[in-house]
Amino acid sequence: MSAGRRRALVGLGIGLALADSSVVTLALPDILRQFDVEIPQVAWVLTAYNLGLALAAVPAAYAARRRPRAAYALGTVVFAASSLLCGLAPSFGVLVGARCVQALGGALLVCAALDLLTAIDGSDARAVRTWAMAGVVGAALGPAAGGILTETLGWESIFLVQAPLALLTLVALVGLRATSVRGPAGRPHVPANLALLLISGALTAALFLLVLLLVDGWRIDPAVAGVIVTVLPAAAIVTGRFAHRFGASRARAASGAVLIAGGLGALGVLPGSDWRWTVAPQVLVGVGLGLSLSALTERALEGRSPQAVHGGWTIAARHAGVVIGLLLLTPIFTTALDTNENRALRAGAAAVLDSSIPPLEKLGLAQDVLAIVRAADREVPDVREAFVDRPRDEAYRTLEATLVDELDRAVTAAFSRPFLLAALLALAALLPIAWSRGKVSV
Amino acid sequence: MKTLAFLVSCLVAAALVATYVALGGTSYEPTPVANPCAPRPHHEPTGNDERIELVVLAAADAAACRLGVSREELVLALRSVDELDRLAAKEGKSRDELEQALRDGLVRAVTQAQDEDLIGGTTAGALRFAAEHLPLGLLLDLLRRGSSLLG
Repeated sequence: MSAGRRRALVGLGIGLALADSSVVTLALPDILRQFDVEIPQVAWVLTAYNLGLALAAVPAAYAARRRPRAAYALGTVVFAASSLLCGLAPSFGVLVGARCVQALGGALLVCAALDLLTAIDGSDARAVRTWAMAGVVGAALGPAAGGILTETLGWESIFLVQAPLALLTLVALVGLRATSVRGPAGRPHVPANLALLLISGALTAALFLLVLLLVDGWRIDPAVAGVIVTVLPAAAIVTGRFAHRFGASRARAASGAVLIAGGLGALGVLPGSDWRWTVAPQVLVGVGLGLSLSALTERALEGRSPQAVHGGWTIAARHAGVVIGLLLLTPIFTTALDTNENRALRAGAAAVLDSSIPPLEKLGLAQDVLAIVRAADREVPDVREAFVDRPRDEAYRTLEATLVDELDRAVTAAFSRPFLLAALLALAALLPIAWSRGKVSV
Repeated sequence: MKTLAFLVSCLVAAALVATYVALGGTSYEPTPVANPCAPRPHHEPTGNDERIELVVLAAADAAACRLGVSREELVLALRSVDELDRLAAKEGKSRDELEQALRDGLVRAVTQAQDEDLIGGTTAGALRFAAEHLPLGLLLDLLRRGSSLLG
């Protein structure tokens, strides 16, 4: 088998494992409904995987460096088997448990892949570039791929599809010799890993909250939302191809962090509740992602041995960042949603009482809307349900549009604070990036 | 090159955020609700339904004004006794205070409607009796199904 094919297969494995940190983002509303859980709980489908990766990455990397082929094979089989279990999970608890096991397999697979790529390419630098780029592409494409699969085949298909794909990558091992790496591992590159943690925490907002805003907040079809959020990975992939022309790794990382902060800041001050406003911020975040993640990963690995162990540290840092982002931003969002929803509800009630629908319908409709909002309980309510059994004349249509607009504006504003906080996380990454000056030749 | 790329990034990021802010990105405010203590614009009712609406809304305005809440909050709380209790707890009032404000508001609105010849003396009397003597749950039910007030 040619080196190119082997590289593509191993890259696919890395992409699948790292895409899993965000692939279910668009499926969360469906999972939430199917298992009757709330937003803070459903976020554990993401958190469990990322936490598992963060905790398992470094031990997995130590294990992988001794027998990279066997570690990759074992990791892939565990990853594939637990993916199947996720797809067939009979309860929410089983799904979260299977996600933890999936993370263990993913950690072994991703860390071992770095040594395999070195064996395939015969060059540490090239292996690191491929490894980093496969991770960026996987993480960035995850939400879009997951959204399209959820809408066409159901959320379970996300996991059922990736199991055979993961197993397919084992073909790359046939006839491949990867030597074990012995000897003590040096200290991890703290500034680069800290910056990776902060950037990844910020990116959580872009990948998780943006999807939630589109699907749950603005009620955009998940498949359409999947297409909308492809802007971000497309920008990341295009940028990744030319990233090396933007200068040394530290400059790329700093520029990327600023662009991510700018994109997230813009998402925090969206002028309207229309998906088109998200395009420019997505481009900025995507370009920033393409510049910073690969640059920081290369910086964390540059001149350090063994590669797999330091690769493990970058995976741990990235996914610890995602977990911190989820744990930090989700409660801020749900609290803001509660507050804004109550304010919007009062404004909506005023709209109902002042509307031109038949007077004796007003109290009933206002209270039906209240019942829907109360029943939504920390989810975004769909006030259109109150109009399902009511006449479709002009007065009702106008009122429905007014209420939907009122709620849309409230929901959009509820996302503002977590996006702005995420922007601050991205800006905070500039500190370790500046601190890393002179630590590694660039 | 390094510095230039960083400066361009800063400029692009700042420009996008500034543009969105200039387009109203930070200006979320829910549509304001009217002060229940201020008089509403006069509206001539065209049928019984609208008469009842005016009485119920005037009652809600009067009660809301006394309680220091918006009419809309009070109307939403009329959904059930539990919702009323929730509003009372939120506003630091007792159930009795809220109930009395509602009853007084309805009596006041009925008297005003009678003075303006919106409703007849018999209806006004029945409504006043209901406002003063019906158990709260039943009164709320009547307010919700305003049509039954005029038969």
